[in-house]
Amino acid sequence: MDIEIIRSYIPLYNDALLLTFKIGLLGILTAFAIGLSGAAALYFKVPVVKKVLTVYIELFRNTPLLVQLFFIYFALPKLGIRISAEACGTLGLSLIGGAYMIETLRSGLESIDKIQSESALSLGMTKSQVFGSIILPQGISRSVPGIMANVIFMLKETSVFSTISLMDLMFTAKDLIGMYAKTIECLFLLVVYYLIMLLPVSLLGSVVERRVRYAEFGD
Amino acid sequence: MQSLGIDVLFKGTNMLRLLKGLWVSVEISLISVAISIVLGLIIGVLMTSKARLIRLILRIYLEIVRIMPQMVLLFIVYFGTTRVFGINISAELSAIIVFVFWGTAEMGDLVRGSIKSIPRIQYDSAYALGMNKFQVHFYIIFPQTIRRLLPLSINLVTRMIKTTSLVMMIGIVEVLKVSQQIIEANRKSSPNAAFGVFAVVFLLYFIVCWPVSRLANKLEKRWA
Amino acid sequence: MKKNLLTIALSTVLGAAALTGCGSTNTASIDEAEVAKAASPGSSVVYRTVDEIKESGTINIGVFSDKSPFGYVDENGNYAGYDVYFAERIGADLGVKINYVSTEAANRIEYLQTGKVDIILANFTVTEERAQEIDFALPYMNVALGVVSPSDAVLTSLEDVQAQDQIIVISGTTAETYLEKNYPDIKLQKYDAYAEAKTAFENGNAIAWANDNTEVIAFAIENEGFTVGIPSLGDADTIAPAVTKGNESLLNWLNDEIVAIGEENFFHADYEATLLDTYGADYENTLVVEGGKVQ
Repeated sequence: MDIEIIRSYIPLYNDALLLTFKIGLLGILTAFAIGLSGAAALYFKVPVVKKVLTVYIELFRNTPLLVQLFFIYFALPKLGIRISAEACGTLGLSLIGGAYMIETLRSGLESIDKIQSESALSLGMTKSQVFGSIILPQGISRSVPGIMANVIFMLKETSVFSTISLMDLMFTAKDLIGMYAKTIECLFLLVVYYLIMLLPVSLLGSVVERRVRYAEFGD
Repeated sequence: MQSLGIDVLFKGTNMLRLLKGLWVSVEISLISVAISIVLGLIIGVLMTSKARLIRLILRIYLEIVRIMPQMVLLFIVYFGTTRVFGINISAELSAIIVFVFWGTAEMGDLVRGSIKSIPRIQYDSAYALGMNKFQVHFYIIFPQTIRRLLPLSINLVTRMIKTTSLVMMIGIVEVLKVSQQIIEANRKSSPNAAFGVFAVVFLLYFIVCWPVSRLANKLEKRWA
Repeated sequence: MKKNLLTIALSTVLGAAALTGCGSTNTASIDEAEVAKAASPGSSVVYRTVDEIKESGTINIGVFSDKSPFGYVDENGNYAGYDVYFAERIGADLGVKINYVSTEAANRIEYLQTGKVDIILANFTVTEERAQEIDFALPYMNVALGVVSPSDAVLTSLEDVQAQDQIIVISGTTAETYLEKNYPDIKLQKYDAYAEAKTAFENGNAIAWANDNTEVIAFAIENEGFTVGIPSLGDADTIAPAVTKGNESLLNWLNDEIVAIGEENFFHADYEATLLDTYGADYENTLVVEGGKVQ
């Protein structure tokens, strides 16, 4: 391994990390928003919306992100719908992440004992009060392990962005290998950068998980 | 039809090739899951081992699998191994190695979880009856964990099928690569082929994965 | 009840084993000629000599599968194109079967260096940087770079590229290296595969596409509404087969082969069979290199 080569490649990997993080973060936030509103709609059994959400969830959970991106980026323009690669990456990641987040939060909400909402209602709280201050906080805290798993899953999934011309970590490595054939150095940096990006998230996940569990009572 | 580019699939053997490409993905996933189940059982038991070193090593292994994107692992195995060890492995074998590496960790962790969930008293009673360690695991613990594991491993199959879309990147001609080839060969005669072909690929993946994940869901509910 | 559970456990494990068993036979069918990749274990030599290839009965040749009309797969699933026509001849003269390996531009050197293919015949432009990593045989085609753009906004000079404009290139091609080196300010939109780059270009994702001029000329001819505004850019280069560095045996064989089939004007015949439809007769003498001799 050649240190000089590694040093000269670092700025490129930094750019890639930044791009991955930018799209990843935006995607995760959007996905979480989709997840929350979707799970709430499912919880309240909103008619029609429930059907639409079910189709959406099944469709996006049962197809690969790569294929979804191909469809959005290469196929939709044939119908006149064209978006930039970055927007496509963010959209694709948000949609697949959103489908997973809804599922995670939904099962979190469902796991809260019926008796809690019944007692709260009998205390005179309104339905939305019950949901907002009793079901939701507990539901989210129970979903934390699932949410963290989804976050890691989404950040890992960004590795397919290369196919739609986004210079993420994976593509940077592949591209440099293609131009200069310094395979070992490129793969080494690739691994290091994924560790830099995901190890803290993974560790944070276990810490947060313990914290939130602590906040729970009973059970 | 013409304008949406679905017609290209009815030319020559295009549709058949697309399906064959899909089968390549399914095949790789099935083989990998089968091996992962067997290895996962072993790793899972080891994860409950009392030896700290073993637990630490397996913990690191699990963390690597959790953090590294499968695509990175594919590249490392496919290109890296020849570079470092001088061993040449085919793309298909690389894919299976990576998927087994991933699947074994996931299965192992699930096995660990379900073994841990079995009350201590069962072990104690079994030992008291004079069974040895192997017998206890094989006759008492495994049968109970399998029930919990089956739906989860079926789920793993769909996740693997979805992930096989990445093997295109190491030169395996699977459904996405075939669709690119079809689009390319027909660029002149049907300029909109990209729409029809990618839409069909999207649906094909769904048709394969959806029933499988439904099945996993059902089993999970029934056996929970 | 207990017995029942045991049956489930056993049948799962046995079933898994059976699947694994039948699986491995199936993998073999995925790629028949995989067996042929018998790189001598233990040694660091990854390539195979001509004798070893002949003995195994199969040669692995890396070609493009999405770069029409040079290397692509037709609607019946057969490889075709200018490069493939030559590959077929190599197979015939060696007396072995051909296992085509579909490559991307950026993987070509990697495939040779790791011995995953014996020859790369994927429109591989000879450059000094590449020659340090692999060995090129005699050339069989001329090439330069070219830039194609939509006819309503033809790009005729790279000086006209605005700061916000993007140009499509394919990762691992000479066009990419050339632009990176000589026009570092131009924003490049990079793709892995030809099919993706072309679809994105068709969809209007960038103002132009830079690649081998042969390729962009073919694209403009085959697709309405596109014009090659810059037909020749950078140095005049050649395209040649490549082998793993140090594989003298196969390199010499290839050089002899190219000279020998030059006697019968093989590459002119190749052009007429695969490229004539696209380029017409005008380009025949500018593109074809016969007998390894560049005019």
